[in-house]
Amino acid sequence: MGSLKVFKSLVIDSLDIITHGTKKYHLWMAFLTAVMLAGMYCYSIQVEEGLSVTGMTNRVSWGLYISNFTFLVGVAAAAVMLVMPTYVLHDVDFKRAVLIGEGLAVAALLMCLAFVVADMGGPNVLWHMIPGIGVFNFPNSMLTWDVLVLNGYLFINITIPFYILFRHYQNKEALAKVYVPGAILSVFWAVGIHLVTAFLYQGLQARPYWNNALLGPRFLASAFAAGPALIILVLAMIRSHTDFKIEDKTIKKIALVVTVAAQINLIMLVSELFKEFYAPTHHSESAYYLFFGLHGKNALMPWIWTAIPLNILATVVLTFHKLRNNLTILYICCFLLFVAIWIEKGFGLIVPGFIPGPYGKIAEYLPTGIEIGVTLGIWAMGAFVFTILARTAVEIETGKLRYKKK
Amino acid sequence: MSEKKNKWFSLKLSNKKKVPQDTGSCGCGKKSGGCGSHASTEVAKPVDGFDQVMGATMDRRNAFKQLTASLLVGAGAISTSCSVTSDDAAKEKAQIDWEEQFKGNYKLMSDDEKKATVDRLVRSHQIRTQDTLDMSSKTAEEGVLFGYAFNISKCQGYMDCVSACVTENNQDRNSQMEYIRIHEMKDGQGINFGEADDNYYHEVPAEGHFYVGTQCFHCDNPPCVEVCPVQATWKEPDGIVVVDYDWCVGCRYCMAACPYDGRRFNWSKPEVPKEEINKNQHYLGNRLRKKGVMEKCTFCIQRSRDGKNPACVEACPTGARVFGNLLDPNSTIRWVLENKKVFRLKEDLGTEPKFWYYMD
Amino acid sequence: MGILTTNFTVFLNRIKDANRRKKTMKIRKSIHKDYLKNVSKFVGVVLVVLSIFSCKHHEEEYHKVTDKIKELSKDYHGTSITSNKFLEEMNLMEISEGGHTFLIPERKSQIKSYACTECHTDDLNKIKGKDAKKGHWNITLKHANEETMNCLTCHNGDAMDDLKSLTGKKIDFNNSYNLCSQCHTKQFEDWKGGAHGKKIASWAPPRASMTCVNCHNPHSPSFESRWPAKYNTQKIQERK
Repeated sequence: MGSLKVFKSLVIDSLDIITHGTKKYHLWMAFLTAVMLAGMYCYSIQVEEGLSVTGMTNRVSWGLYISNFTFLVGVAAAAVMLVMPTYVLHDVDFKRAVLIGEGLAVAALLMCLAFVVADMGGPNVLWHMIPGIGVFNFPNSMLTWDVLVLNGYLFINITIPFYILFRHYQNKEALAKVYVPGAILSVFWAVGIHLVTAFLYQGLQARPYWNNALLGPRFLASAFAAGPALIILVLAMIRSHTDFKIEDKTIKKIALVVTVAAQINLIMLVSELFKEFYAPTHHSESAYYLFFGLHGKNALMPWIWTAIPLNILATVVLTFHKLRNNLTILYICCFLLFVAIWIEKGFGLIVPGFIPGPYGKIAEYLPTGIEIGVTLGIWAMGAFVFTILARTAVEIETGKLRYKKK
Repeated sequence: MSEKKNKWFSLKLSNKKKVPQDTGSCGCGKKSGGCGSHASTEVAKPVDGFDQVMGATMDRRNAFKQLTASLLVGAGAISTSCSVTSDDAAKEKAQIDWEEQFKGNYKLMSDDEKKATVDRLVRSHQIRTQDTLDMSSKTAEEGVLFGYAFNISKCQGYMDCVSACVTENNQDRNSQMEYIRIHEMKDGQGINFGEADDNYYHEVPAEGHFYVGTQCFHCDNPPCVEVCPVQATWKEPDGIVVVDYDWCVGCRYCMAACPYDGRRFNWSKPEVPKEEINKNQHYLGNRLRKKGVMEKCTFCIQRSRDGKNPACVEACPTGARVFGNLLDPNSTIRWVLENKKVFRLKEDLGTEPKFWYYMD
Repeated sequence: MGILTTNFTVFLNRIKDANRRKKTMKIRKSIHKDYLKNVSKFVGVVLVVLSIFSCKHHEEEYHKVTDKIKELSKDYHGTSITSNKFLEEMNLMEISEGGHTFLIPERKSQIKSYACTECHTDDLNKIKGKDAKKGHWNITLKHANEETMNCLTCHNGDAMDDLKSLTGKKIDFNNSYNLCSQCHTKQFEDWKGGAHGKKIASWAPPRASMTCVNCHNPHSPSFESRWPAKYNTQKIQERK
């Protein structure tokens, strides 16, 4: 088989590339490996001792892991904001960025899955969840929907870029007929993964803070702000460190996407705050806890009061063309926005859902060192995966890596 | 030692002669069934009424395994044959662990499979602790739907129910897990859980207070069951919402979905002092749990399926707790529902709990 | 003029360009339309299949659990579970009150010094007012107030082996609930139905209930205050 031979050569070539690089590159990879190892060590403790080594309790039963999972689903979904213009609307400006975006989606999805696994009480019986072998409670459980859509999205986001890169590797043009249907499917799929993840929380009548029709749309808006913001930052990095040319125009177009999404997100935030605080009911207690503390308990206040001003500041600055078109300011804003949404959608969403508890009891949540260690490890794993993917993609796209017939 | 037996395990055990004749006492206290080692012990006795067991068709490999193991456990009591026994017991334990790791969902098992896993668990416990258990896999009885009523006027807040529940259900002592919460409420504030204290420690009943107990309400439309990704929790035909501890993956989605704080998670390995273990167990009830799985009140399934009242009902000195069959028109629970002004918590959520509150 | 014509040609060229662009756009759009059509068809089919699949078909769907109870108990024929094996050893007696038939513990055998006449061989009037030792010193009556009740409200000095009703009728010690029910009518109703009082051992029929005096000391019927059986220190830590 010819293509098998090519594939073998691609693997060898890319292995060659990812193991060679500048000193900075090696330092970066070594750093990531070290963090990953530390994370694995923390995880081994968690496996040994049980989830009691985390800050989670019967009161707040989901914490840092699920927060990060939720946020990263959004990041993964955001790749579509580049895919859609490129493949569906044929906007060539995005073309160079789209592969990076999809690589980011793959890394984010792997991190999502890792976070879910890290959160499980019984990772050794996870096979119970595999359809066919285990018992898959589909369609009743939204978690099974999530498993399906996340893995499906992972599949799409691996196959499309792989196909394109594989063709380019052989000096052939990728056939639009082959990948465009997949790309269009991935557009729907991306919206799907994020809506389904929102429904995971939205469908729980037990948690009024989540049981809110705006949650899904807000997930989308915040994802389409935070995800492309991260892509801009990554593109900026790639641009300054490799020969891969990304024009200002591309970055500015993505910046526009970020801006619009951030604006919509802000509108929804206002709507949500209005509902919670204008006519507060019993169900507003979680929001009160988040923003003002309840009965003297206010662990989340510093977080949310960091996130909200950052969010507003970044959105307002981005709104002005002049400021947005200044790349330095743009990068700073993207970073702020990313952090703000990470807090808001992670900690600010998951933890208050559990506080106060079903009977009004408040037990606060703070992640432990081990939990943070595992989290950092998974982030490092994501960065590691992304670096490998991006390097190979960049080398192929810049034409340095090509299949040589021997 | 009969000749027959030599044939069975001559390969595995060299010093079988050290095994004393009286290994027939497997220690589980029952004459038949329930304890995985009976088939073999019966075989081990050369002359008694159990000879027909030999005649019965038995899976050769299984019988061999059980035979060896039970003899070895008997022998294990005698220190002389320590090394060999521990070796073989370990092998059998490994075999059990393997089968347990890859067994299916209890809900979908046939009655035979249910019995097999129960036998394995009993056996495994026996190997590990040299102690026996009585574990049941009794299924739901037709014509039974369990329901519960709680008399708010009568509860005095003694928490005898909490204490009895912990003992009965082998709950983790380290994390002080409790299924039942008694909320102390102030007169004049109504039923206000937010202002209530569910962990008081002073003489009760306190002046100007009343007490409301909560636990799993065994909803007829349980949101926890809907959300479980692997169907590790479900509603039995008699209305009890149960968890298959061995099938649970520990995602805690059910915990997030429960509006009544009915579920408890084993954040670390649950510990029960050996002498405090309640040996009257049910697979879906109070059997010993492992870390990383969900558990909850089962209306003491090991008792209620047998006809007994749950431990909390039995422990309550004030008679504030009423338990019974909702389908029996003559049951006391039915009388309470039809004649008292009953209500349930958070009825607007549509979960249809089978746990009613009433007052005198 | 020259400037005008050049301007004009530039203008014409622009229009041509625009037309050309439109055409290419049209072709592109038509390709897109096809794709979109196909994709939307696919998505539509998937959604329809999913929605059919997602419909929850439960065999017995009741809106409320009370409906379910009503429906299922229509043809209730009893179960094989009974309380007999738990009650075997107990000394119970069957009573029938207000349409409810159930078992209660036999009382007389549980009273240490029954029958009273075993000690009280003399007429009570003979020891009245004398300096004789005070009998039943350990009993203080804390039941209603002194105006309402004294020993003789329930006990009969002339027939000590039985209790007496307010109107002076004989009440057997075993059926002492008849005495209590004279005042505590509401509790009596609840007790007969099963809302008041503790059941014995089993939920299954035949029903066995504690009688009044099994939980309440008739001379001091209210419950004593005491410390709770449990205190959860872990909960305190969790909520710090």
